[in-house]
Amino acid sequence: MQFPDELRYSSEHEWVAIDGVRARIGITDYAQDALGDVVYVDLPAVGLAVIAGATCAEVESTKSVSEIYSPLTGVVVEVNTLLVDAPEHVNQEPYGSGWIFTVEMADTAEVDALLDAAAYRRLVEEE
Amino acid sequence: MRSWRLLDHLENGAGGAQHMEADLALLAEVVAGADPALRLYRFVPPALSLGRFQDERVVDHEVCRRLGVEVVRRPTGGKALLHGAELTYAVAIPRPDGEDGTVDGVYCVLANALIAGLARLGVTARVARHDGDRGAGPACITSMQGADLRVGDRKVCGSAQLRRRGAVLQHGSILLDRLGFDETFLLVAPGDIDLRGASVTMRELGAPADPHVVAGALIEGFRETLDVDFR
Repeated sequence: MQFPDELRYSSEHEWVAIDGVRARIGITDYAQDALGDVVYVDLPAVGLAVIAGATCAEVESTKSVSEIYSPLTGVVVEVNTLLVDAPEHVNQEPYGSGWIFTVEMADTAEVDALLDAAAYRRLVEEE
Repeated sequence: MRSWRLLDHLENGAGGAQHMEADLALLAEVVAGADPALRLYRFVPPALSLGRFQDERVVDHEVCRRLGVEVVRRPTGGKALLHGAELTYAVAIPRPDGEDGTVDGVYCVLANALIAGLARLGVTARVARHDGDRGAGPACITSMQGADLRVGDRKVCGSAQLRRRGAVLQHGSILLDRLGFDETFLLVAPGDIDLRGASVTMRELGAPADPHVVAGALIEGFRETLDVDFR
């Protein structure tokens, strides 16, 4: 199970890679493993305004649908269209080619409320 | 012993879309802190349910209209399933901790309860694992997944999940009998599938096919396996 140190994490098992005011978001290695083979990703629309903690995407795995929550408030500026035809990237490279969407943050201070790798690892180990 | 809500909706006369709304409401209640729930119901008249993201163009709407089949969309994943001669269960629970909380984990926990219920009716079912030879085509009943229960190599119960905010909705159907038609009549390109060969009903197994009798056995299966107290 991987918990890259350079990322931040939400308690809902999303990871966040910060680059200035932009945040790239996906689901963690733990989450993809728990869901099983991903067969479809319902991506948010570019331009969608998202609120931290609100649903903004859905992932269908074999026999399950799970909601994805935006860990940050802002506007969706990019989505990973690779997943339209190849959703398996969420399983294969959850922290790489399996990223889901990028948000331009409204308030970068929200990042402080996210977990670091060590805290997220503890959360997973306690579950 | 944990307290669960029991909702017997076998005779509530709701249509397919209302049943899907009721299942979503069950999940919303558990998200809001309500006790877990088991709901039992039937689709009268018959309905064809599509998976959450399944392309609606697989449905032959004209034939559905002629046969009086309502087309509904499930909030859960998976493929097209015809409801009408089966018993449907819906369970809403907080997502368990650890391995039991994974997709497979929840299926496994609830499968034990369903298997115990069916055993009370003399049916020996077991969890089906992934089978590479099946799964083609748009009909749910031909795809064998870990979520499903089978007797021998034929599916008797298929299930699907929706996971939302720390809670899980799982619903599924136990085949009681056959209607005069099946999914192959209702889909535009059902593919080369053998629904009768891939599935088996309670009646064909020589087991009780009365939904009330099967519902009673399932309730006891849940009570016994999950140590729950229904109210």
